[in-house]
Amino acid sequence: MNRTSWSRNVGLYLALIFIAIIYVGPVIMVVNTSLKAKQEFNLNPSSLASGLHLENYANAWKKASFPLYLKNSLFYAVVATAIYAVTAVFVAFPISRKYVKGHGWLFTLFVVALFLPNAIIPQFQLMLHLRLYNTQVGYILLNLVDAIGVIILINYVSSLPRDLDEAAAMDGCSYFRFVMQVVFPLMKPALASVILLHSIGIWNDYVTPLIYLPAKQLMPITRGLMVFYGQYGNDWTTLSAAVLLLMLPMIALFLSLQRWIIAGVLQGSVRG
Amino acid sequence: MSSTLYAFGSRKSRLVPYLLLLPGLLLYLFVSLGPSVATTIYSFTDASGLLGTAVHWVGLANYEEFLFRGANARDNWEITLRTLQFAFLVTVVQTGFGLLAASLLNQRLRGRNAFRTIFFMPVILGATIIGLMWTLFLYPLGGPVEKLLNLLGTRSDFMGGPPSEAFYWIVWIQIWANMGTTMIIFLGGLQTIPNELHEAARIDGAGAWATFRAITFPLLTPSLNTNLLLNIIGSLQAWQLMLVIKGPTNGLNVLGIWIYALAFGRQSNNPTQAAMRQGYGAAASVLLFLLVLVVGLTAQYLIRRRERRLLG
Repeated sequence: MNRTSWSRNVGLYLALIFIAIIYVGPVIMVVNTSLKAKQEFNLNPSSLASGLHLENYANAWKKASFPLYLKNSLFYAVVATAIYAVTAVFVAFPISRKYVKGHGWLFTLFVVALFLPNAIIPQFQLMLHLRLYNTQVGYILLNLVDAIGVIILINYVSSLPRDLDEAAAMDGCSYFRFVMQVVFPLMKPALASVILLHSIGIWNDYVTPLIYLPAKQLMPITRGLMVFYGQYGNDWTTLSAAVLLLMLPMIALFLSLQRWIIAGVLQGSVRG
Repeated sequence: MSSTLYAFGSRKSRLVPYLLLLPGLLLYLFVSLGPSVATTIYSFTDASGLLGTAVHWVGLANYEEFLFRGANARDNWEITLRTLQFAFLVTVVQTGFGLLAASLLNQRLRGRNAFRTIFFMPVILGATIIGLMWTLFLYPLGGPVEKLLNLLGTRSDFMGGPPSEAFYWIVWIQIWANMGTTMIIFLGGLQTIPNELHEAARIDGAGAWATFRAITFPLLTPSLNTNLLLNIIGSLQAWQLMLVIKGPTNGLNVLGIWIYALAFGRQSNNPTQAAMRQGYGAAASVLLFLLVLVVGLTAQYLIRRRERRLLG
């Protein structure tokens, strides 16, 4: 390695490390605060934690009703994503294969959603009049649609060879069985991205539960955390532990499934 | 003609794909597309968020009130201008920052995947975590940012200070949270540029900056356009981080959070705005939609023109 490329690399690393500090800094602050005693934080919020006050985590777990909220979040994300994934494949496959009349028109219908006015007010009226306000069913119902995921799936189906359909049909395989047993496994890469993005979206959503789920026993973790913040706004040591408890599963998920998450974000950005 | 391709039997079995498609389609029409369209209809009524109250057709009254009636209208114009300012700052800085990060990561370097992972991480963390994390980071009584600003001889009143300062912090947090997406799209674009072009430029004696200007940047046009449009549309509609960090606040609101406050605002701090005015909120939604449409189409027109010029 010659001298110019050596100094060039040092420059590159310095720039990257500078940006990394901007990104890791707030996380380190949360970790550090979660390990401090309350007085220690009040005295000097920026000092390094002198010991490991792990009781903050126990407090967060109990005071913030973590088990309840986590259970709710998990329930919403799993049920809504499962129903969404199955219905979305049954929408995407025949549209992409032109097995239904008006397939072009249907495709347009899904693309159009990306450009229409925000739906939250009529959605709220709908839920109110169906008496589904403040119910689990209503909240799940709201999370069963996502046009971008359907568009990603439609695009992916067109990369699957059509010969498969004909061969399976020749062997007497029914349409339903074909989609369930052949199409689903073949769509694994696209489905993985769509499923991940959809469930992460539900997991992170704060606005929808804020509008629809005022009852404490129905709240997901995002809403629960903000309620806790409202009550114990100055208790940053416990709050930091709570934030970390919510963050760690997401970071673990991201590190293990990064490829599909990034692929999904990329495909979603192309928009049909 | 198209259905002749269908190989799974004939007659009755032809209906099977329709039947299986129906649940997803109905859900979509019912929960998403229908309500989107209905926003326009609601904007002509005085609907409230309470069950059992009568709904009246009021024509254009909501629009007239929002845009022209008294002091509230003046506030609304201010909020609209602030939304444009927010979108402009976020779009420009986020696109530039994303391009910088992608260019750095496109070099052959050890550990670049780790950096990429770190920069992208906030995209999946969501508004609640990011909002609380930054509220702590900006802690006004001796938090790290405050200490740093003290070292530089200035100070920050983020939490208790004037809304104008909180505004710039929220612009920054919005950028911080979403830069990863911009970066990933640019990285995808950079990887399609054949390496030979860069080699050729180097052999011709072009420096790094000249190569970037003459080769990389023009060839990045498609991903630049994608990013600009995504960031313009996204930032005009953004308000979740603002909701977590400050909630609806006079002097800080953008249209997205203002619509929420009008339609669902139990916490609206303006007593003249009766809570849960959903018809009025719907009118504001339609106006935001029109704003996104006009700004988005203008941007698209300018982008297309630039593209044509570059392609000769």
